[in-house]
Amino acid sequence: MTDRGYRWLGWLWLASLALCALWLGWMLRQGLPADTDLTALLPADRQAPLVEKADRELGRGFENRFLLLLGDDERVPTTQALGRSLQRLVDEGQLAGVDWRELDLADADPHGWMGQWRYRLLTPQWQQAIDTDGGSTLVEPALRRLFSPTARPEPVADPFGLLDAWLSRLPRSPIGAADGLLTLDAEGRQWSVLIGELKGSPYDLPMQNALHSALERFQQQHPDAELLRSGLVFHAAAGARQAKREMSTIGAASLLGVLLVIGFVFRSPRVLLQLMVPLLAGSLFALTLTLGIFGRLHLLTLAFGASLIGIAVDYVLHLQCDRVIDGRQFRLRRLMPSLTLGLISSVIAYVAQALTPMPGLRQMAAFAAFGLIGAWLTVVLWLPRFTLHASPFTARLATRWWRLCQPRWRLSPWLALAGALVLATFCGLRLTSDDSLELLNPSPAALMQDEQRVQQLLDRDTGSRYFLVRAADTQSLLTRLDMLDGSLDRAIADGLQVEYQSLAGSVPTMAEQQANLARVRKLYGAPLDALVERAGLPATVADEARARLQQAPPLTLAEWLETPLGSLQQRLWLGKTDDGGVAATVVISGARDARTDATLSTLADSPPKVEYSDRVSRIGGLLGELRRHTALWVAAAMALMTLALLWRYRGRAWRVVVPPFGATLIVLTAFAVGGVPLNIFNQLGLLLILGIGLDAGIFNVEHARKPAAWLAITLSTLTSLLAFGMLAFSATPALHYLGLTCLIGLASVWALVPWVRPEAGHSTPRRESEHV
Amino acid sequence: MPFRRWWITLLLLVPLSAQAFDLDDLQRQLAATPSLAGSFEQQRELADLDSSLSSQGTFLFERGKRVVWQLEQPVEERIELTPQAITDGSGENAPPGGEQVAQLFLQLLEGDWQALESRFTLALSGDRDDWQVALTPKEAALRERIAEIHLRGSDTIDHLDMRTPDGDRLKVRLFDQHPLNDS
Repeated sequence: MTDRGYRWLGWLWLASLALCALWLGWMLRQGLPADTDLTALLPADRQAPLVEKADRELGRGFENRFLLLLGDDERVPTTQALGRSLQRLVDEGQLAGVDWRELDLADADPHGWMGQWRYRLLTPQWQQAIDTDGGSTLVEPALRRLFSPTARPEPVADPFGLLDAWLSRLPRSPIGAADGLLTLDAEGRQWSVLIGELKGSPYDLPMQNALHSALERFQQQHPDAELLRSGLVFHAAAGARQAKREMSTIGAASLLGVLLVIGFVFRSPRVLLQLMVPLLAGSLFALTLTLGIFGRLHLLTLAFGASLIGIAVDYVLHLQCDRVIDGRQFRLRRLMPSLTLGLISSVIAYVAQALTPMPGLRQMAAFAAFGLIGAWLTVVLWLPRFTLHASPFTARLATRWWRLCQPRWRLSPWLALAGALVLATFCGLRLTSDDSLELLNPSPAALMQDEQRVQQLLDRDTGSRYFLVRAADTQSLLTRLDMLDGSLDRAIADGLQVEYQSLAGSVPTMAEQQANLARVRKLYGAPLDALVERAGLPATVADEARARLQQAPPLTLAEWLETPLGSLQQRLWLGKTDDGGVAATVVISGARDARTDATLSTLADSPPKVEYSDRVSRIGGLLGELRRHTALWVAAAMALMTLALLWRYRGRAWRVVVPPFGATLIVLTAFAVGGVPLNIFNQLGLLLILGIGLDAGIFNVEHARKPAAWLAITLSTLTSLLAFGMLAFSATPALHYLGLTCLIGLASVWALVPWVRPEAGHSTPRRESEHV
Repeated sequence: MPFRRWWITLLLLVPLSAQAFDLDDLQRQLAATPSLAGSFEQQRELADLDSSLSSQGTFLFERGKRVVWQLEQPVEERIELTPQAITDGSGENAPPGGEQVAQLFLQLLEGDWQALESRFTLALSGDRDDWQVALTPKEAALRERIAEIHLRGSDTIDHLDMRTPDGDRLKVRLFDQHPLNDS
């Protein structure tokens, strides 16, 4: 290429970057459209978009609200203090509302709005009582009820107390009222309940900070009060605080380490700046194109993608080491084959992933591939044009370091193959995998304990296990729900340790409501006359009561969901489905073990055929799928790369692949020995190892006799170790596993390179470095 | 000896009657009888009904512990109210909200003004031999269920009168009350 053509390409690239910046600015004019929800990374469950909807409905309360339980000897004043400080947050606009006083939750009396439907709602016991003998056994209890000082008798509207019997069967909130406060009586203690409603996202930082400091202040002023927290906002806040903390410890240590190493080797701050330029250009290119293609970006894509662009440090360091050491003799052309091969091999690995059906992987792969290409173009087109202050120290260091690292003997291909087979066999036998949801959960143990206590005290489920029931219309849905409830009741009677919530428990089918009304008519015959007479009431009361039956409207599902009690069950109702039917969930709580799960799955398979979904194991399954997909595609990419390398290097190809593949095997063996299960995050770390290892292998073979190459390989593994290996000390499981993989893998890459370096042959490194 | 203590308490209370009689005095006066037994007559007038529901029976009251309400006419039923629970003869579940009604009933019979004051405005009139306390709910939600409660008595509570906004009325007369000495 002519010098003019090269310059022209450089300006063209700069112009494209400027365009990228403009486009990105335009796309970000309303903030970064980022997903934080992990499920957004997983493929949309094509068979069951309804399952996702159910998950969203059931999880809504946990996301938009938080719940505090407060236990204290001086409960009333303490709760008032906390309630008022939360109320201040509402006044400041941070929260949408907070309920803690008795009246905050006082729904109108159910007798008021349920009354009209009572003649069509009968509990199974009452149905049986009326079917057996017309209901004469119900007279005595009704009489007692009429005269109890604490009951509220309605001799005309409801002499038998149909409504109270019905209401007492509905699941009741364990939250009651005492001392004017929302109160939970549990484990022999009174807890105050404070329920906060969020205005927007639980990830909103100013709101998190305001809430956190309000609660901190409260706990300082009331050190004896026991405060239990539940809600996504607390977990999100803990995650944000932890990220901030680690940024200032692990992050600062990494940065300082990289600065020291680069500063020590190059003795020039300019090299540092030039190190950053390609990375920034690559990130800009990647962010713009990925956002342009996908429309949205997941935060995890951003984090891992940016990490993968770190591979581009290789290109910079190889180029700079060469320039510093060769001085005027430096020719880009000599480096081009290795740089190009390095880029192509890494990009192949990512393109392979971009073909997977996993949107999360596709995004991440696209981001990393664009980033590498952008960084590579910057390195090749612009870096040689920047002036570089070459310190003679760097060249001396390279030579000394080169001599120091001459291995006593070298690996033979057969020994390498044998070693690989042994390690692979061992991994095959011992390596386990873990796809549990906990990996994604960065919450501290104390918060998880709080969460569990609250769930336990409230006897509340998180809505993670449910049956999904569909039907053509509401009536057949209720029928199917009713059938499912029947099977559940029988299973529970047989010892299944669960409870369930179902809409059919609240709204009987039209047929049953009709039958109930007929039963009530029967009850309002002789039994009613007997009741009125024994109560000493005039006989006209019975007639008036009977007249009420003329107007007994049926209870529909829509009407029920509108009532205050029904709104508590709103989350069970999924409404219209895409195929024109309707759907609802039946939420399961209680025992969680393999046997229970098996029983529930069997129930789902027997009529009426429904779908059983366990969100925890389902997401675990999806994570596992993500992990297996990555592994499969990476293995395919490795095979493809090996072919490409064989084509160029022939008999020396094994020397190129030993660092990346050997390091991968060493990491896996270390995990197998240490009992660390394989998960999606350490696999993503392996991608980084493969990229850096492959670059090291290529340069090691292409420039076998150049101390500059070995210095660059050392520097690139060391800086990557500092940047990513340090993450092993993170408390966030995802980052910890990524870091651990990088720590072991990068060290292995570096250690393996000298053993597979081609023999010096006729030319010695000393002679080559004499040019300097 | 309980009998002597009873008299000493009474003697101590005498000079106080000359001054303004307040809720604290009344509480002390009621607390002097830790447990008692007697008879009751209950009459419930319902707005949409011309006649009323009348019942009678006996009761047993142990301060801070429980009230046993023994219905005798027109139906037999034993209801026991404690601060924690309400149980009736059949062991049936109390209807929703029943616990709160029971708790209120217990607080009224005890004259537990501190507890009642958090939800009601209290007005005391009369003197220690014939006093009246009127209770009106403070909060709107409670006003939807209770309009007004009147208590009347002397050494013990003799009358309870509760009105609801929809015109229902519960009247309870306690009589033949005698302290129990075995507690």
